[in-house]
Amino acid sequence: MLLPKFDFHEPKTLNEACQILAAYGVKAKLIAGGTDLMVNMKKKILSPEQVISISRIGELKKLDTSGDSIRIGSCFTVADLSTSDAIQKHLSALGEGAKNLGTPLIRNLATIGGNLGSARPAADLPPALMAYGAQVVLNSLSGERTLSLDKFFLGPGFTAAKPDEILSEIQIPSLPPHSGAGYINIGVRKGQDCNLVNVASFIALDTDGTIRNARIVMGCVGPIPLRASSAEKMLIGQKPESALFARAGAAASLDSTPIDDFRGTAAYKRDMVGVLTRRTLDIAFREATHRQ
Amino acid sequence: MSEYTVINSRAVRVDTPDKATGKAVFIDDMTMPGMLYGALLQSPLAHARIVSIDTSKARNLPGVKSVVTAEEAGLVKYGVSPARYDETLFCHEKVRYVGDDIAAVAAVDMETALKAVSLIDVVYEELPAVFTIEEAMKAGAPVLHDNYPGNICAEVHSEFGNVEEALANCDLIKTTTFKNKRQDAAFIEPQGCIASYDLSGNLTLYSSTQVPHYVQRTVAMVLKLPVGKVRVIKPYVGAGFGIKASANPLELSACLLSMKTGKPVKMNYNREQVFQYGRARHQFTHTMTTGVKKDGTIIALKHLCYLDGGAYSSFGIATVYYAGSLLGGPYKLPNMKYDGYRIYNNKPACGAMRGHGGVAARACWEQQLDMIAEELKISPIELRLKNMMVAGDVTCNDLNMSSLGMKECIEAVKDGSEWTAKKGKLPKGKGIGMACGFFVSGAGYPIYRSDTFHGTVIVKLTEDGGTALVYTASAEIGQGSDTTFAMIAAEALGIRLEDVRLESGDTDFGVDLGAYSSRQTLMTGHAVKEAAEDARRQVLEVLAKELNVPIENMDIKNSLVEFKQENVDFTGLRTRYSKEHRGWNDNPADGPLTFREASRIAYLSKGSIVGTGKYKPPELGGKYKGATVGTSPAYGCSAQIAEVTVDEETGQITVDRITDAHDCGLAINVTSVEGQMEGSVSMGLGEALFEEVKFDNKGHVINADLAEYKIPTMLDMPQIKTIIVESNEPNGPFGAKEVGEGAIMPTIPAILNAVYDAIGVRIHELPMTPERVYLAIQEAKKGKTS
Amino acid sequence: MKKLINLTINDQHYEVAVEPNQTLVDLLRYQLGLTGTKKGCEMGDCGSCTVILDGKAVNSCLVLALQADGRSIQTIEGLETGEGLHPVQEAFVEKGAIQCGFCSSGMILSAKNLLDQKSNPSETEIRRALAGNLCRCTGYQKIIEAVKSVPQAN
Repeated sequence: MLLPKFDFHEPKTLNEACQILAAYGVKAKLIAGGTDLMVNMKKKILSPEQVISISRIGELKKLDTSGDSIRIGSCFTVADLSTSDAIQKHLSALGEGAKNLGTPLIRNLATIGGNLGSARPAADLPPALMAYGAQVVLNSLSGERTLSLDKFFLGPGFTAAKPDEILSEIQIPSLPPHSGAGYINIGVRKGQDCNLVNVASFIALDTDGTIRNARIVMGCVGPIPLRASSAEKMLIGQKPESALFARAGAAASLDSTPIDDFRGTAAYKRDMVGVLTRRTLDIAFREATHRQ
Repeated sequence: MSEYTVINSRAVRVDTPDKATGKAVFIDDMTMPGMLYGALLQSPLAHARIVSIDTSKARNLPGVKSVVTAEEAGLVKYGVSPARYDETLFCHEKVRYVGDDIAAVAAVDMETALKAVSLIDVVYEELPAVFTIEEAMKAGAPVLHDNYPGNICAEVHSEFGNVEEALANCDLIKTTTFKNKRQDAAFIEPQGCIASYDLSGNLTLYSSTQVPHYVQRTVAMVLKLPVGKVRVIKPYVGAGFGIKASANPLELSACLLSMKTGKPVKMNYNREQVFQYGRARHQFTHTMTTGVKKDGTIIALKHLCYLDGGAYSSFGIATVYYAGSLLGGPYKLPNMKYDGYRIYNNKPACGAMRGHGGVAARACWEQQLDMIAEELKISPIELRLKNMMVAGDVTCNDLNMSSLGMKECIEAVKDGSEWTAKKGKLPKGKGIGMACGFFVSGAGYPIYRSDTFHGTVIVKLTEDGGTALVYTASAEIGQGSDTTFAMIAAEALGIRLEDVRLESGDTDFGVDLGAYSSRQTLMTGHAVKEAAEDARRQVLEVLAKELNVPIENMDIKNSLVEFKQENVDFTGLRTRYSKEHRGWNDNPADGPLTFREASRIAYLSKGSIVGTGKYKPPELGGKYKGATVGTSPAYGCSAQIAEVTVDEETGQITVDRITDAHDCGLAINVTSVEGQMEGSVSMGLGEALFEEVKFDNKGHVINADLAEYKIPTMLDMPQIKTIIVESNEPNGPFGAKEVGEGAIMPTIPAILNAVYDAIGVRIHELPMTPERVYLAIQEAKKGKTS
Repeated sequence: MKKLINLTINDQHYEVAVEPNQTLVDLLRYQLGLTGTKKGCEMGDCGSCTVILDGKAVNSCLVLALQADGRSIQTIEGLETGEGLHPVQEAFVEKGAIQCGFCSSGMILSAKNLLDQKSNPSETEIRRALAGNLCRCTGYQKIIEAVKSVPQAN
């Protein structure tokens, strides 16, 4: 299988990368792990004239938990996310998404930035990151801007990043005490599966034990990851318990907009949103009761 | 403790060290000087008339050495069975499926070849296409092959006994309809070949094939070459499972291009092309009606089957027979009626895949037997045992169970899985289920009508050094046949395994029908044994004369000559050997006469010692139409118990454990038999739970990759407990018979029955994806509340 | 236009000219004659092209040759020692974990990579680590037995 012909660039710094990207704009594609771009080029879905690799830029690979927010460089690999103690401790739902993404071989190449930038509706990392209220940092020659992940995805394969912008960092604000999150994805087989439905739930409890804040993010059931708004509203101020979570699941089902496709029917996906919402709320609640 | 010296043990395979180190050469690892690269032009449309083909731009592209279409290839029809030769190498009037081959190009590199393919201008007149059995059989539907009206590729009607009469006397009659889906073999190595036509008009084809012999014949026939000038050699093959058991357009194209250019030509399928080529398991729709007495005695089976055949016959004419005939056993069944139809449509052709037509049929029937057992309040195991045939029984359709360790298999899995402690006692959501199955140990007749031997083998002893060279045209495709034959040769000769060197897969070595229908251990094994015994006899004859000892008083074991009488003085021979090896420091001094010395002496007397062996089954089967399909000198059989957990909220099934017992007659290489059992289970599990080739409404395969076509990964497979049963098959070499396909038969129904045990819902369609299971549970709930 | 790259493969230094659109697996197989690494799907789905790149097991069909510049790769050819088979290779051969052999190069490297990072892995850990290597022949049973049987320093 042959790849299309292209010129290849390997900038050493983010600034250099921005310069090259500015020069070529839409004619260029960024590559980090390549697990998405390489497949698309082989399938002849994409044939960029220029390929810019950002995988040698050291500053894009850092994980910084020292400050108010957790900062993950966009080229931090999914494998490293899945084994990081810090991620497991602070962002367990993200860790879960990372553990279930693709295969161990893919995870060694794939990057968190790539999983966001490729904007696949079934991607494993966006739901948890959105549930955690993550933001992305976009750099270009004109400077740097920060954007909430809620506003980053525009459609399958489309993001709010401009042609000359590079996603450099993902920032997650530090989590309040008594908060927790959960992530579950289901497909057809247990290994290496494209998700049929995936859901991440985040809840933060008040001192009286009621739910102060909730974010439920559903993947695979819309052109972009969707917030289950009515389910979230239903939870606020309530005491967490199974029946409530089940009702939230039912509400989330109605918030979802799945389609029939060759992987599964909309009806099944809708029902699974309900099941996974309930189950991830359970996980989030358990974590919230243990987290100080 | 085995009574044998070499066989019936665990042997390290002769090929695996090379495979473990990356040294084993597969087809794409090979290059030849001056080699060109070939690419195919394949149809983008499912059904269309070819109005014109213009290859001029392609021919003029620098680097292109040859462009061939039907004009150069000719129109000799081929296929698998001569009764259904319905393909030409390249389409000439019309294309019948997306992927149908129209032309081929050979160029200096792959990039140029692919560019040239894109420059071939074909004008199509699109025709209406049919993609399902229903569409294809409708009145007025477009016909794929003019001589097959109604798109009926083949139909079978057979009856043994009197089914209607028998059903009238039954206490319980059960009817179910069951459907599987079209599958792909998903072997990890795609098809590939290198063809090399030399200046003397000899054509050598290296190919990733299961059947060098059938490929040789097809190449000679289609390309009109004398078959004596065609040689097919298989390198190591990354599995085949039946799909590589016939000549493919890659092989024929590469040969033609090499003939045109005088250069070696390499061609491969990429993974997408593997899916689009198809030739794997058909989709079957089975409707079975079974009648039993209230004590569980099986009396009659009425069976209607439709096969979704795709655009060409491939193995399909045999498949449609097997779908019916393989239900003749292993239970006593006096009345069986079968009506089968294989229907053409504009999808890739389906062929033979591990278990051939027997797998879906077995799944349907074993599930139905469980339903019957439940209704009669008999345990499923008891129902099987009650009706089981025994060795020596003959089925109503004349299949002879010369050995049948089915009872032993059932008892082994019952104990091995702790069935009694679990059945009926597991919590909701957990279940246990069982099933049985059997399969031929080699088709009783070759694919082409012939008196040919099914396998010929040469065993030649080295003129010095006591090594036995085994030459067989059989195909090692991963199942371990090379080692099995080396072990048989060693056992039959009386020498150590390390004193055997085997080469295989080359049509110059002889005739061997190849690796399909689970034939090689029994059939080629017989030929190996005979050849080795011939060589042994020749050596002993010389010794008998030299030493004046009767042959009956001599034996060879562990590469040493044993005498059954006292005081045999062989010092003369030993001295003679030493004199010929002056300066060597490992000449035998004391101790028994070695095979090394004995074979040297035999050579000095007779010249090269060459033993030959051959095997052909006796005339098998009945005299009715289609009787040959299903006949075999022996049948391997299997029982399996599956344990599952079902997540009722999502429909996800986890197979927790499989217990598997298989009667292989006698295990030549115990490790290889287990390996085949375990591999069969994984293929059956994939078919049961995940696998389905999906099409869009234009006939393209949508999931033509190994991400969306889902075979089991390590995370999907359970622990498999394997138990080997040895019933000592009288028609098998050393009592051996098959394992490669019989072992897949019970897997799907064992899982179906276990899922029913877990959730109380029967599922009659595969694959049992979470969505299908979930829907079935919802339907059942609705049924209960309405 | 070709570019010169330097990389270490199996402890040996190579300097090669590669095209930008050349994959690492094609570089290994067709340019350097290291045909032990196989191509089963070219999409990162089957794992038969697994190599160890700077200590991590990856699908070499998804890596550009240029991305391997300056890096260290281990292929199946690099496992044997002067004394014979690597213990993982030995275990696969002994336990019958190889049938057709086409997945074996990748499977063995993934197993070796696991054992380099974790000694005495549990069955679950083995299954998780090798989930990216598909095998159609063995049902994975003897592969797991082989990995478990590799002698480990305690």
